[in-house]
Amino acid sequence: MYNVPTVRNTPTIRRLEGEHGSKQNRKHLELRFSRSQTHPPEDSPLTTLAVILPLALALVAAPLTALAGTIRTAWTAPVGVATAALAFAAVLWGWAFAGGGSVDFPWAPTWNLRLAFELDGLAALYAMLATGIGLAVVAYASKYLPLHLEHQNRPDTDIPRFHAFILMFMGSMVGLVMAQDLLLIFIFWDLTAIASYFLIAYDVHEEESRYSALMAMLVTGITAVLLLIGAMMLYVEYGTFLLPDLIETAEPGIYLTAAAAFMAIAGLAKSAQVPFHFWLPRAMAAPTPVSAYLHSAAMVAAGVFLIGRVYPLVQTSQFLLDALLVIGFASMVVGGILALSRDVLKQLLAYSTISQYGYVVFMFGLGGPYGAAAASFYVIAHALAKSALFLTAGAATESSGGETRLSHLGGMLRQQPLLAASSGAAAAGLAALPLTIGFFKDELFFEAALERGMPFPLLALFGAILTLTYMWRFWTGIFLGEERGESRPLPAAMLAPITILGVLTIVGGIFVAPFASLTEAAGMVSFNAETPISPAYHLDLRPVNLLALATFGLGALVIISRPLWAGAAGVFSRIGEVLGPQRWYDFSLTGLNKFSDRIHWLEVDTLRSRIVAILIPLGILVGAGLLVAAPAEAGIYSVGTVESADIPLIVALVLTAVAAVAATVPRNHLTLVLVLSASGFSLTAVYAFFGGPDVALVAVLVETILTILLLAVLALMPSAVLKRSETHGSTPGTKRRAYIVGGASAVVAFLGVWGALSRPTPEESVAAQHIELAPDAHANDIVTVILADFRGLDTLGEITVVGIALLGIAALLSRGRLW
Amino acid sequence: MTLLLSLAIAMLFGAGATLLMKSDLIRIVVGMVLISNAANLFIMASGLSRGFAPLYPLPEGALVSDPLVQAMTLTAIVIGFSITALLLAIAYRAYLDLDSVELDELEEAEEREESEQEKEWRPF
Repeated sequence: MYNVPTVRNTPTIRRLEGEHGSKQNRKHLELRFSRSQTHPPEDSPLTTLAVILPLALALVAAPLTALAGTIRTAWTAPVGVATAALAFAAVLWGWAFAGGGSVDFPWAPTWNLRLAFELDGLAALYAMLATGIGLAVVAYASKYLPLHLEHQNRPDTDIPRFHAFILMFMGSMVGLVMAQDLLLIFIFWDLTAIASYFLIAYDVHEEESRYSALMAMLVTGITAVLLLIGAMMLYVEYGTFLLPDLIETAEPGIYLTAAAAFMAIAGLAKSAQVPFHFWLPRAMAAPTPVSAYLHSAAMVAAGVFLIGRVYPLVQTSQFLLDALLVIGFASMVVGGILALSRDVLKQLLAYSTISQYGYVVFMFGLGGPYGAAAASFYVIAHALAKSALFLTAGAATESSGGETRLSHLGGMLRQQPLLAASSGAAAAGLAALPLTIGFFKDELFFEAALERGMPFPLLALFGAILTLTYMWRFWTGIFLGEERGESRPLPAAMLAPITILGVLTIVGGIFVAPFASLTEAAGMVSFNAETPISPAYHLDLRPVNLLALATFGLGALVIISRPLWAGAAGVFSRIGEVLGPQRWYDFSLTGLNKFSDRIHWLEVDTLRSRIVAILIPLGILVGAGLLVAAPAEAGIYSVGTVESADIPLIVALVLTAVAAVAATVPRNHLTLVLVLSASGFSLTAVYAFFGGPDVALVAVLVETILTILLLAVLALMPSAVLKRSETHGSTPGTKRRAYIVGGASAVVAFLGVWGALSRPTPEESVAAQHIELAPDAHANDIVTVILADFRGLDTLGEITVVGIALLGIAALLSRGRLW
Repeated sequence: MTLLLSLAIAMLFGAGATLLMKSDLIRIVVGMVLISNAANLFIMASGLSRGFAPLYPLPEGALVSDPLVQAMTLTAIVIGFSITALLLAIAYRAYLDLDSVELDELEEAEEREESEQEKEWRPF
């Protein structure tokens, strides 16, 4: 049976202030991991509220905004911004002041399902990103969206849909990151996919949007099933969906590796890692704020979040870690090179995202405390920088009057100095220049690689150079060079989020402590042990600094030597278009569609094919069941005993069966009906010899009416019509086919029926009770009392069927008019 | 007896399935009748005991036939009969509207009708 744990040890992160904090960094508060049996988690109202409040606020944001939007379109943006801000504030409060917490309610106790949420380090990190960047994006969209709709001549009433879905995205992200029950995780996981589907397809009139949305939905939705499979595998083995319990009880082995691998694949597909990366650049069909959100804090981040969440299970297998290394590095390189060859701004950023999450997966693959913690730090740094860059891309396009290509933009530095400065900070952050939070992300990245040893630092160096190069291309392409046309001024609500994100990138490069402490807390959850990291500037020639210097030097070289490799990058991207996984996706999609059409036509083409479509699967299923059960039940088939008293019964049976078979022979309809009633009346005799006078009487009645009915219908139809029907289409071929199908059905039916009838008689039966109770119901006929009393509801159902059949017949005979 | 009953039920079912494969609506209805007869006999045969009719006063010490399956068979017979009547009504309706009870002819007639409707259809 299932090993259902009785004691739940929730891992809690508690804040210890004062004397404990004095040893280490006193600037940021120390976080501790407590998992001891003697100290159960504290369920004070405060810690409960710390979880419930952010979750509830994030989840109600979407419905509230949709409601406000339906009442008055103009209310959408303010309500959306306000609810997102409240959710962000609640998460911030819940983590920084209330110190996190957990709630755990029974959900479906018989399946050991629990509504378990916890605001732990990992959840806090991603929830802050989801709500914080969500807030920035919603604020930006309040100005961007009206412009976007104006370009497309769409009404303002389309606005609430956008805000509602983006906030639904936010809510499901917050739910996802807090959920501790794998089934809950799966539900929120799919909710994010649904939200992303509607957001990517927001410009519904464009085929490209619909195609891309479907692609994102299919790629992430089909792989989401793997998450469910992994969860079910663990549940079957350990009897619980709760991650903390699973982490404690699951034992390393092939089974756990397989389950963790399924969940990791779901995460990799959502994070657009090779070979699932093709959906992400396509998803750029969405409006810019959606892309910004999708890439930095929602959809794609959810993938690496999941890996971080189940990392304690993943890291039990060195094979999985190595696989993550390979996939991460492949994504890093493929995404980086393709980013170098793209001309459309958002495409460049999309490939950069693939590459950047490749870093994160690579770090998870490197393993060790540095790998786990650095991965989380990387997500923060990337989210801040990438969302700012996407919003910049949208702003540049808006300002230039709709230009999306890098080769047609340039020289905006003078016209948009603030935009240039903020996005410069963000680009520097992504390129890991000093004095930005990005510098530390690469410092930790190199540290993790060095911890693992050669050749990983060289691979890391390669990835970092690629990043530096394409970021340089992006920023200089927009802001430097000659001016192209006039640049329109941008509204403050669009510039403000970019500026704030840019400033945060710089602030993180100077005051890294709060980010580092959040990362340590998150890393602790992933690594299931403490992960001390100490990002700082060191003015010496330690290996990490050497690698950083090498990045800058070699990056500059690559930038200068652009003409030498630009062609090669283009060729690489062409090869990808011809041989890449997107072709396989299209191929399998059209193939499946055709297959489904084929099956559909096979099934519903004619009545005959429909009957065959029922009979054949039935035969296969029964046959398969028999095959499976055959070894165990070989002895069960019994011939039964025949007594002399049974002879009349046997005679009637033989008559019934022979007459039935004979009914397949005659051409003439009249003969057919007479043979049928011969079989039917013999059957009534069988019922009589079976000791069932009630059944026999009713059967005689029914057979009589049926015979009359059949004869009457035949009499109503002209003989010419019947003649045609008798002769048409009865070739030897069709006859043979009919007998083959009939014979095969008979064999399968025989095996099934014989097996069922051979089962031994149980000791007790309901019938015995019925017989005993019949006198109490004031009846002598037990069958009658069963029909009218004990199983009266069956009879009611039967009468209903007769009534419906009657209505149908009446409607058919009166051409659909009943009165 | 078990073997004989199973054989009889299988023959009824097989004969019914054979008739279902024909292209004549009347034969298809007859096939359905045979299949429901097979089902009824199967329910009847799956009774736990066989003996005297389950009527009071019960004979002392002798076996009584299982009354429960009889009640169920009765229900099944009546339902089967109403379905048969409905099927016959459909066949009759098909004859009235399309002047045939033959599947291929019916299909052709249906296609003709559809293409005529298609012809009449104008977008605006």
